[in-house]
Amino acid sequence: MLLQLKNISKWVHSGGQKVFLLKDINFWVNEGDFISIMGPSGSGKSTLLNIIGMLDDFNEGEYTFLDEKVHSLKEKHRANLYKEYIGFVFQAYHLIDELTVKENLEMPLLYKKHNASERKSLVADMLDRFNIVGKKDLFPSQLSGGQQQLVGVARALIASPKLILADEPTGNLNSKQGEEIMEIFTQLNKEGVTIIQVTHSEKNMAYGSRVINLLDGKIE
Amino acid sequence: MFKNYIKIAWRSLFKNKGFTLLNIVGLSIAFGVAILLSMVSLFELSYDNFHEHVDDVYKIYQIKQSPDGAEASQAYAIPFAPALKEDVSGIKKISRYLDDEVLLFYQDKELAIDINWVDPDFFTMFSFPILEGNTETPLKKGNSIVITQKMATVIFDSNDVIGKTVNFLINGKKQPFTITGLAKDIPANSSIEFDVVANFINNPRYEKLKNRWDYSNHEVYIQLEKGLQASQFEKSTRAFTNIHFKDNIEDRKRDGALPDQNGQYVQLHLLPIKDLYFTRYQNGSAIVSKALPYIVLGIALVLLFIACINFMNMSIAKSTARLQEIGMRKSLGAAKKHIFFQFWGESVLIFLVTLLFGILLSIFCLDTFKSLFNTEASFNNTVSLGTCIGFVLVFMMVTLVAGGYPAVLLSKLGTLQALKGKVQVNGRNKVRDILMIVQFAIVILLISGTFVLRGQLQYMKNKDLGFNKEQVISLPLNGKRDSYQVVRLLKEELKGNPNVVSITASNNNLGKGKDGNLSTSVLGFDYKNRNVGTHMLVVDHDYLETLDIPLLSGRSFDRNLIADSTSVVINEAMARELREEDPIGKQIEVMGNSKHTIIGIMKDYNFRDLNRTIEPMTLFMANQEQLAYTYIKIAPSAISQTFDSIQDAWQKLEPNATFLGSFLDDNIERTLKKEKTMTTISTSGATIAIILSCIGLLAISLLVVNQRTKEIGVRKIIGASTLSLLVLLAKDFIKLVIIAFVIIVPIAWGYSNQWLQEYPYRMELSIWFFVSAGVLALSIALLTISFGTIKAVLQNPIKSLRTE
Repeated sequence: MLLQLKNISKWVHSGGQKVFLLKDINFWVNEGDFISIMGPSGSGKSTLLNIIGMLDDFNEGEYTFLDEKVHSLKEKHRANLYKEYIGFVFQAYHLIDELTVKENLEMPLLYKKHNASERKSLVADMLDRFNIVGKKDLFPSQLSGGQQQLVGVARALIASPKLILADEPTGNLNSKQGEEIMEIFTQLNKEGVTIIQVTHSEKNMAYGSRVINLLDGKIE
Repeated sequence: MFKNYIKIAWRSLFKNKGFTLLNIVGLSIAFGVAILLSMVSLFELSYDNFHEHVDDVYKIYQIKQSPDGAEASQAYAIPFAPALKEDVSGIKKISRYLDDEVLLFYQDKELAIDINWVDPDFFTMFSFPILEGNTETPLKKGNSIVITQKMATVIFDSNDVIGKTVNFLINGKKQPFTITGLAKDIPANSSIEFDVVANFINNPRYEKLKNRWDYSNHEVYIQLEKGLQASQFEKSTRAFTNIHFKDNIEDRKRDGALPDQNGQYVQLHLLPIKDLYFTRYQNGSAIVSKALPYIVLGIALVLLFIACINFMNMSIAKSTARLQEIGMRKSLGAAKKHIFFQFWGESVLIFLVTLLFGILLSIFCLDTFKSLFNTEASFNNTVSLGTCIGFVLVFMMVTLVAGGYPAVLLSKLGTLQALKGKVQVNGRNKVRDILMIVQFAIVILLISGTFVLRGQLQYMKNKDLGFNKEQVISLPLNGKRDSYQVVRLLKEELKGNPNVVSITASNNNLGKGKDGNLSTSVLGFDYKNRNVGTHMLVVDHDYLETLDIPLLSGRSFDRNLIADSTSVVINEAMARELREEDPIGKQIEVMGNSKHTIIGIMKDYNFRDLNRTIEPMTLFMANQEQLAYTYIKIAPSAISQTFDSIQDAWQKLEPNATFLGSFLDDNIERTLKKEKTMTTISTSGATIAIILSCIGLLAISLLVVNQRTKEIGVRKIIGASTLSLLVLLAKDFIKLVIIAFVIIVPIAWGYSNQWLQEYPYRMELSIWFFVSAGVLALSIALLTISFGTIKAVLQNPIKSLRTE
């Protein structure tokens, strides 16, 4: 088992009342899963994904990631954990505008203290794998949306994470570009990478092996 | 990693070209100006610190009690120094120091030079290195002199001067002096300056006065034995003064003076030579004030501070554009320290670049700066290991605070917050507002300070001094002819010139002439069993008429009355000092031998600087004192021709002497050097502060407008007028300026008032100085804000909404 959520709840106070964003969430993820989190706007999909990615806190419950109790870890250890095992893909790509494709790919490695030659070969591998060698010196603004997301996925993968968290990865893309990205995810999943995606679309859901439906912060 | 940071720093700086430029310009100016100003300040503070025995060498001054209170004086009689050394223990070395002028002859050269008569200890007490000749005691023998390299070049055109002989005109006779030492040129930060020094015993009045205790004309410096406290020494001189100043003390007691708390009527005091430059004597005490250099240093730091505020405000405001990057980096595993170092590093990069520009700027502007500020400060005499370390420390502080604060703010952001890009760091705007208030308060303070300084300077320039300063030329008699003869010849020479109205002469100048001398003679004598003091001036006929000094009663000197050669004219202050209702016809007895009849009372006129009240003055016609300056009143037409013809006439009479004539109003202006320098400093400080604040305000207003583009668009669609939008945008900034104004005006008022108290002649301090400074700051702020806002407000609202 890769990770397990037990009775996770998260709430905010609004006008003196508790408003639950997530309530009593229980689920687990095995290695090699391809999970789609579905649900209407405001149902808590992204919050759940952020909690899994350790970017967000929760108020109640237990979260175990690779036998580490995330809820009791210090910030620093938590950062080390997700740095090591998790890659993120965002709807808005979140590439750094001032860096070229190659440099964007290199960035996660810098924070993991790989040496220069290692970084070079890993970046070259990624560029090769996603067929973007020709684009390596371009800036994000010079790429199409699909190409930017391709770089985004490549960046998420470069440090060979066990888990990829994708928040509406195709939301800003047209259907053809979207299909390409989903094909890549399927391919990665076959190679053993666990994927959790948040999505609106039934079509994308179909790529996954399991679906979690959220409504008003609860799993249905 | 590092390369990556540099790269991204460079690219993001380049992307925000406008802001980067504003930042760089502002910081470079601030660094450049701060370097120059702190250089001046350090230079001033370094005055007289180069002497090896700086901690043990003192100037002696005395505080004497008189019926009107205490008086400070630094003039001593010739036997004083030897007697002091003999009678009081603890003196390692002692030297008298007499400032004088002498005519020097070498081959066919004839030069009026400044000379200082000192004792042989002078060169071992003070660190003025002798390069050639007798390096230890060059003045051991009489008739030997030491000259500086500069003077050697003037006299001999070479530095090979040891053993050469020159002649001085002493008591009307040429006397040979041999050069026994070549001194290194005096450092610019020395308050003791000399071109030529000679043994004290050779000075023209030495033989005549060497046993007289009642004639004081020189200063005395001493070096105490190591470890002896100045206060201890001062205490041990009391017995000495009570013996040697006995007559003087008796007179004081008789006149009703009260002793000081130690029962002394005359007390010797020691002034450390490192305070020499900063000391003025006022109301019977020596006041050491280093305020000016510290104010200059303060202005430098304040300017740097303003630039840093700008930098911080801009970095924080600008960072919203980079929130996503921060969020992304965090989600990719960047820790707080990574983010901190990245953003701090970017700041350091900017600071380093601007520091470089600043240094270049200061090198480039050094010459203009030096003439503007009247300073000798340069990199040579201020850069040392200490100042470098200090500078690096200040620089590190600046980068740590100004670069570190925004970096800390950014590194503390939560990952999700940052990714969503809608962060409102708590209290951020409060910090920004406070910083802007401080900034404007400083600007208003500097502007109002400038206004007040200018007002006072203008007041002093325009003040009626009681004599005609516009049409009178003062000309130093620096030739070799007898002064009475040369004045007579000059009168004859210029008789035919209809534009020369009248000519007179006296033994002292008014204001500070081109020869740079500024002196006055003081005389004390008994009148009706009471000691009275007066300034004395030896004058020629027509003195009052030439200078348009009005007579209140009696008459002026009459050239047809032989008896007038012993008559005197006094001023109102002197009449009060004599306590006579009608002093005309009364006689005063000066120096115990000659009686002088008072024939006239003139109106008080400011014969000394304007930071003194008018003291008693007596005009003599006695012939034994030589004249030193001639005054020529000219007609208001054809001024420059008349000036030239006077110069021609002078050169004809004294072909070897330089013509140093100058108008009296220029002379008066020269005495206002300190005020002028202060005005220049505060004017330029205020200007730079305004420029820097404008840069900051411009940047902030542009950013705010950027952030509120959507709001502006919506308001416009709903129907807001252009004017109401401008008011909306400007309101927040104007509020800050007004708060700054309210806070700073009482402070500015207090300081201005305190400063003006130093001047007996001062303008009325009016609230309008401050109000106009506030209005100026406000209008500059408005103008700056309008740059960005007007464009935004006039923009088509659809366009601004589409960006969302």
